[in-house]
Amino acid sequence: METRLLILNSDPVFQDTALAIFDVIPSVELRIVRSLNEGIYVLMREVFDLLVVEGEPAVAIEQATNARQHFPSLDILCLISSRPRNLLVAEADLQKVSLIETNVPPAQLQRRLRKVVADFEVKSGTSAEGIDPCHSLVGNLNQFSAAEVLQMSCLGQRSGRFTFKSGRGTSEIYLHHGIIRHAVYGSLDGEAAVSEIFRWREGRFYFEEGIISQIQTVNRPWNHLLIENLQKLDETLGPISNFSHS
Amino acid sequence: MIDAALETDLRLLNLQVESWKKLHNLMTCGLDKAKPLISVEQERQFTEVRGVLLQESEYVLRELNLAEELAGKTSNVLERATSIRGVRELSNDDTRRLESDWNAVFTKLGVMQGQLKARRKELLSRSVLGESLSRIFARHPARR
Repeated sequence: METRLLILNSDPVFQDTALAIFDVIPSVELRIVRSLNEGIYVLMREVFDLLVVEGEPAVAIEQATNARQHFPSLDILCLISSRPRNLLVAEADLQKVSLIETNVPPAQLQRRLRKVVADFEVKSGTSAEGIDPCHSLVGNLNQFSAAEVLQMSCLGQRSGRFTFKSGRGTSEIYLHHGIIRHAVYGSLDGEAAVSEIFRWREGRFYFEEGIISQIQTVNRPWNHLLIENLQKLDETLGPISNFSHS
Repeated sequence: MIDAALETDLRLLNLQVESWKKLHNLMTCGLDKAKPLISVEQERQFTEVRGVLLQESEYVLRELNLAEELAGKTSNVLERATSIRGVRELSNDDTRRLESDWNAVFTKLGVMQGQLKARRKELLSRSVLGESLSRIFARHPARR
């Protein structure tokens, strides 16, 4: 059985020490991507056993941390070009990201990478899934807006946590029996955070059933929030569309 | 058996083909008159892919011994296609030349990809010993 590796390497032609090692390991199938966005896109559609992020320690660990937010149960390995600072090691540890330094003699690196692949062969059949099983709903905001998914969940009397991720950051909305109880985005919380999330047109979202917030920052019913925010959106988009048509 | 040099060539070739495909997708957006709008994101992607090809093509083609045959056509494509908007504004003749050069590069890379994959398949069915012996005999033909 083949071990499928997704390699995130921004410069796979010139920085290919590890790639050259993976190339000659039998029963390994490689897929190389150059950016995190591309990697997430691929991981959402295909199953891989391991995500390997290669690069400078700070960049690689940040990318691995971002990937972890999308795929909580995926095995992630960072191949880093130098010894990272303790803070970065702690971050990697927190995110359950393994680290291997590549500035070691080639034979040593080869041994380590072969061991990583061999470990996967031992636990064949327990491949990591692209979408975590704890997510009961996953989607893209360019296909379903935040308003649509929240409307659906509120009507279904759901309780749980929505996480929205985009280039602007991460935000969370907590539902309790179909009522928005709490929302947070950066320093914003409550209705201000909901308003902000309404404007997002790109990014991903997922819903985890049963996660309840102890804090309550939203007190108005969902339909009031929906109408108010759609009105605000109309007022914002109106002048822009008039301008672009003129 | 696995030949490390062959695997490296195949990896370089796959990466190069992927980049040429992406470039073509974005060039097609520029030539598609039914879609008048070109987004900033599309232009960004185009610049990204073009940057990758400008940086890597020469090296990859040299590694694959294709530089003599394809370097001219490659640089023609990359020099003519400066942006999606630039592609849209090309004259009909220039567009035809661009597509013809792109096609020549893509065809050659595709053919070579197939040849290397066939070679890999053949090697996988051979043992290391058999391959070493065949190399030795190929280097020293029997003397009469």
